[in-house]
Amino acid sequence: MTTSSVTATTGTTLPRTSRLTFGGIMKSEFIKLFTLRSTFWCIVIVVVLSVGIGLIIATVNPPARAGVPAAGPLTVAAQQAQAVSFATAGSQISELVLAVLGALVITGEYGTGMIRSTFAAVPKRTPALIAKALVLAITALVVGLVSIFGTAAIIFPLLPGTKNIHPDWTDGHVLVSLIGAALYLVLVALISFSIGAIIRNSAGGIAAALGLVLVLPGLVGLIGRLTQLTWIENIATVLPSAVGGNLSVYTGQKTQVVSGLVSFDRLDSGLILLAWFVVLFVLAAVLLKRRDA
Amino acid sequence: MIEAIGLTKRYGEKTAVDGINFQVEPGRVTGFLGPNGAGKSTTMRMIVGLDRPTSGSVTLNGKKYADLKAPLHEVGVLLDAKAVHTGRSAYNHLRALAATHGISRKRVDEVIALTGLESVARKRVGGFSLGMGQRLGMASALLGDPSILILDEPVNGLDPEGVIWVRTLARHMASQGRTVFLSSHLMSEMAQTADQIIVLGRGRVIADAPVGDIIALAAGNAVRVRTPDADRFSKELIGTDVTVKVTEPDLIVVNGLPAARIGELAASSRVVLHELTPLAGSLEDAYLALTEDDVEYHASDFDDDATPAPTTATEPVQ
Repeated sequence: MTTSSVTATTGTTLPRTSRLTFGGIMKSEFIKLFTLRSTFWCIVIVVVLSVGIGLIIATVNPPARAGVPAAGPLTVAAQQAQAVSFATAGSQISELVLAVLGALVITGEYGTGMIRSTFAAVPKRTPALIAKALVLAITALVVGLVSIFGTAAIIFPLLPGTKNIHPDWTDGHVLVSLIGAALYLVLVALISFSIGAIIRNSAGGIAAALGLVLVLPGLVGLIGRLTQLTWIENIATVLPSAVGGNLSVYTGQKTQVVSGLVSFDRLDSGLILLAWFVVLFVLAAVLLKRRDA
Repeated sequence: MIEAIGLTKRYGEKTAVDGINFQVEPGRVTGFLGPNGAGKSTTMRMIVGLDRPTSGSVTLNGKKYADLKAPLHEVGVLLDAKAVHTGRSAYNHLRALAATHGISRKRVDEVIALTGLESVARKRVGGFSLGMGQRLGMASALLGDPSILILDEPVNGLDPEGVIWVRTLARHMASQGRTVFLSSHLMSEMAQTADQIIVLGRGRVIADAPVGDIIALAAGNAVRVRTPDADRFSKELIGTDVTVKVTEPDLIVVNGLPAARIGELAASSRVVLHELTPLAGSLEDAYLALTEDDVEYHASDFDDDATPAPTTATEPVQ
């Protein structure tokens, strides 16, 4: 930084052809996401835990317990359902990790002041929010598919030997269930991202997102069971983690038919989950435009 | 060219910026001066659309910031050095900003070299000193080779070499016909850098004039007189339009009389003078005079007599 260099290089060499584009904003958000260590660790944790948990469940056979009759051989459908649930067992951790990543993508910028640089470059703001959400969704989808299908690819060949279960890759329901599990991870990340954009604080955003995914289902379910109030039990049924779980259920059908209690098949569950995201995202986008950065 | 019309920002009951009008012209350096809390940063944030004005508007080359097609090329902004994610390296921060506008990596390397960040560019910003952070902020502002440069307290935390660099850069950019708008609470800095100065106090423009005029405001005609007969001489001098302030037993500051006249009076009254010094006005004095009543947070007034208080009027200069 010498004074003599000033005259030489204030930058008149720059061509003025470049301008703000959505493609450029997407590229910027990809650079931002993949130049932080937290992203790297989140991805490593998701993949390692997904495979690790799947392997433990697939290879360890619980010893027979006294008084419990040995189960008979499973039907073909039941075998596929078991195989899917083993391959997606790690998703319970993955969803938390991706919820944290989703919130951090936006709250990290508010916490550090980076958001002001972002908005100075993208003053209409909404394109930046959409690009962030898209980049997060693509990343979560790839991580979700790789971790779930990777886990399945590793444990499915082991299952005939360890549990006398014969997974069938040609069974469409198996594929759809595994893809459904990955899509749930994408939507959890997006819902958490939207909450982060509304709350704008890392601790608060993560707490609220995990509260919605982790704490609320248990709490509402408990109140529902204790009060036997149908409407409270129905609230528990439409919470993100409840409908999200339906996405990876092998049959994809409504589970129970009890009078007054709602139940959703795979498609309905997916749409409800999408609605959670859309409502929160629109609220985040409206607030983003109105609030001072 | 930056133009603010009736620009106002209220936070609840508190008015941070109170209906200000000003123009920042291209081809010169315009200083934005004011005590802490005067509303400088709020004004600058409104210019680049980070804060929404309660009323009024501000345009850049006739357009609102949000309507610019290529904001980074039109406006370079340094708002505060902390507008960076601490977990990312300086290089990646600039690369991410550049990507939004399709600015090349070559240009990123250029601004890194320009701001002297080569040695730390790959390190995470979290470990940067204030000065390094400031250099990175300057690099971000220069990235798009903008025609308007807005710098909030750019010399904050810089070493003397960096201060000179910012000053030279600002002057150079202005000489190329660009608009340069920089804020500071350091009056001495402004005197050396700015052509035009806008003084802000409690959210209002209290002066908007060439730097020479602002200094002239404070020049007044104070004269420092050292004499063993300070008491007697003071009584003789005091009259209409003449004020005398005794700052030390043998030292007085006279306002309202030229030094020559004071010398003549001393001779005729047979008063021995040890010193007779006309006090040159500084931007510092002008600034204090202008903002005297407009400082939001007063330090407790200690040692009040040590500095001769200029008695210049505080009406706005237009």
